[in-house]
Amino acid sequence: MNMLFFQSEEVLNNWLTSNHVERGAVMTMPQLWELSQRWYHNRLSPEFHGRTAEQVQQIFRELGLTSEFWQAS
Amino acid sequence: MDESQFWDIRAFVYQHFAETTRPPRVDEIASRFNLTHEQAVSAYEELHQRHAFFLQPGTHDILMANPFSAVETSFKVHASNKTYFANCAWDSLGIPAALHADAEIEAACAQTGGTIRLSVTGQQVQSSDALVHFLIPFKNWYNDLTHT
Repeated sequence: MNMLFFQSEEVLNNWLTSNHVERGAVMTMPQLWELSQRWYHNRLSPEFHGRTAEQVQQIFRELGLTSEFWQAS
Repeated sequence: MDESQFWDIRAFVYQHFAETTRPPRVDEIASRFNLTHEQAVSAYEELHQRHAFFLQPGTHDILMANPFSAVETSFKVHASNKTYFANCAWDSLGIPAALHADAEIEAACAQTGGTIRLSVTGQQVQSSDALVHFLIPFKNWYNDLTHT
């Protein structure tokens, strides 16, 4: 329910209306790929032991995700 | 069990997922790390608590080790001559990012049910009109992970 694909902006707006939910955050595929690479590039490494809230916030900041939606607390 | 062994188990789970498209069972962990069944269960519970991966509620089977899903979903990822399932739209691109591999992704549009096809080649995603929508603000993501 949280992270879903839509074929277009128009289709997304139809979904928001029909499900009576407010618009959250929207990304294009290049933006999502950039986030995915930053988030998951070292996930298979034995050295990856998770991230602190501050480290997560740093990643979002580096990608320009600075709105209230992306705040950790 | 010392701290380093927890992370060795976590690394093995991810390696197993990447190589086989499924997570190891508790008995496989016990055998691989020379643990009792109870010790392996305890390790899985501890790693679940630490959000290293997530168990099926009421079981000791891994449900999610993001970006990988242990169950079939509407987010299918073909990469490295295997077919993986992702947990969500983000994780669909998370799998090729984690594997550092090219991928072809088949997912369903949440409104129309139509197939959305994405392609990752040479560490680039090919252009698409598709969008991803995040419904829940980040601070609430871990309140209910299966909903997230």
